[in-house]
Amino acid sequence: MKRRSFIKKAGIATAGTFFAPYILPSGRLFAAAGDRVVNHVVLVLFAGGVRHQESVEQAYLSYQGANAGNVMQNMFTGAAPGSNLLYTPWNPIQSSSLASQGTFFKELEYAQGPTGHYNGHTAAITGNYTDVGTNLAINPDFPTVFEYYRRHNDPAKSAINAWWMSEGLGPYPALNYSKHGMYGPMYGANYFRPYSTFGQIGLDYLNNGLTLQPDDVGRMNTIKNFFDSNFDKSASDLPGIINNSTDRETIHAFMKDVLNRTQNGTVEFPLPNGVPTYEMTGDLINIQYAWEVLKNFHPELTVINTFNLDTCHSDFTGYIKLMHKADYGVGWLWDKIQSDPVLHDDTIMICMPDHGRNDLPNNVYDANGLRAFDHTSDANSRRVFALVVGPAAKVNQNLVLGSAGNPVGQTIDIVPTIAHILGFKDQIPAGMLPGQVLTQAFV
Amino acid sequence: MKNIFLLVFFSATIFSSCKKEVLKQNVYDNVYYEVTPVTLYTSNAEKNKQKSSLQYISILFSDLFNQNIPGSDLNNIGEAILSIGDKGLANQMILERLLTLPGISIPTQTQMNADLNTFITSAYQRFYLRNPTEYEKIYLKNLIQNDSNITPEIVYAAFALSNEYMFY
Repeated sequence: MKRRSFIKKAGIATAGTFFAPYILPSGRLFAAAGDRVVNHVVLVLFAGGVRHQESVEQAYLSYQGANAGNVMQNMFTGAAPGSNLLYTPWNPIQSSSLASQGTFFKELEYAQGPTGHYNGHTAAITGNYTDVGTNLAINPDFPTVFEYYRRHNDPAKSAINAWWMSEGLGPYPALNYSKHGMYGPMYGANYFRPYSTFGQIGLDYLNNGLTLQPDDVGRMNTIKNFFDSNFDKSASDLPGIINNSTDRETIHAFMKDVLNRTQNGTVEFPLPNGVPTYEMTGDLINIQYAWEVLKNFHPELTVINTFNLDTCHSDFTGYIKLMHKADYGVGWLWDKIQSDPVLHDDTIMICMPDHGRNDLPNNVYDANGLRAFDHTSDANSRRVFALVVGPAAKVNQNLVLGSAGNPVGQTIDIVPTIAHILGFKDQIPAGMLPGQVLTQAFV
Repeated sequence: MKNIFLLVFFSATIFSSCKKEVLKQNVYDNVYYEVTPVTLYTSNAEKNKQKSSLQYISILFSDLFNQNIPGSDLNNIGEAILSIGDKGLANQMILERLLTLPGISIPTQTQMNADLNTFITSAYQRFYLRNPTEYEKIYLKNLIQNDSNITPEIVYAAFALSNEYMFY
């Protein structure tokens, strides 16, 4: 009896030694790496090259010899153009602008490197500027915000908590993890390009597949495990991240469900009531399916982009139209987030372009005789903005910072700012992130 | 004689130095895999190169349909794979889709159960390009015999998603 009693007590003491340090007064099992501002961050890269004049400055056609006006009324406060409308106005879904629901960094700087889309995206997602040429489908050199989050958050989170969703393909699928030796795919984010995953290609090649019941999956895995036991290599070199089996099954079921609903036309559209679905753009499709991911997984870190605005190289009219629609999409997304019981009041959304566009037009005129603009690293193309929107108890409301010639913050500040929000900033090794936390945004 | 030798030498030098150098680059992702008889591996130890995503899909299609994958399908499937971060999941979903398409060359369950030895050997040759070992044959045969719910689709899916199938 004494021996049994001794073993019992020793067992309890050992268990206590293991668990006691992790059980906090708050009842949490594990201590987070640091205090969090909120538990969810959505970064919208309002990309494709957004000229400061037509966005923040609400110049509309002022630089084309006509009137001014705000075509982004979900994001910025200001009256819409009263005449010479190039677009069909959609009533804003936000009753007050996002700028008034958070902190508006009116003048932010993209300080170094070419103002190319890959460079702009990379700076925003890695927190480091890069001179690497554009349109290289390679993973960035510096770790992405996803890798910092997954490696340094405590407790560690699986990839189902981190998502990168891009409007287009090209080099963008490669931005969900870096080739940095200390990080890499094991800390990467899940990735979709919804236009392909859930568009016609997805419907043709991913939907209506063989449905294996759980028992059948078990049978298949038994046979597969037998095969794998007779082969001494594993397919670990598959490019891309690898979800754990539970998450993979969850994402698999999610994809099948969303594909089915896409086929049935029951996925919500980020469109005003009565607007036909042919008005959807690539940007809106990305936002549409980003919401599907957000409402299903409630990920802690989600990064999406828009990109259609790049049509401004040759079509200024299209640029204005698409800017108006993308603005609606961002407002719609924030509206949805506020309707979700988990994300509501526990999410901060950051919205920032990849870079700006040139001050002077190129030689192209669109069908309306309006001048087009490139982005070739002039000073104007380095001017961007950032919106940090969130609950009033956490994010300073209706605060505007910076002005022309007086930037506050840089695009590389977004990664440290996200790390601050999610509480793992201090765990990132020194020297990895040259940017600063945009502390002005937080209460 | 010496002059002739020098003439030949300099001519050879001049012509060879002016010869345009042609670099041949094989882009393996674009290779189409012919459905022709191939030499079987003697063992799986000979496989040490991992297939790329497009190689995998191209070979899988050939193995399931006994024909080359049409170029448009290969491009579209390539795009579908590129659009998903977890390539293993992408491969799985594409395999599931292919297994439902008309024209797939797969035995019925009755055919499988009627001659398990032939089914197993044929599947090993089809997917692994080798014959099963006696141990593999007996183990898989017992597995199938002891579970009437194992279908040819399940066996094929296990082959197609196994590590060995990812290598050549």
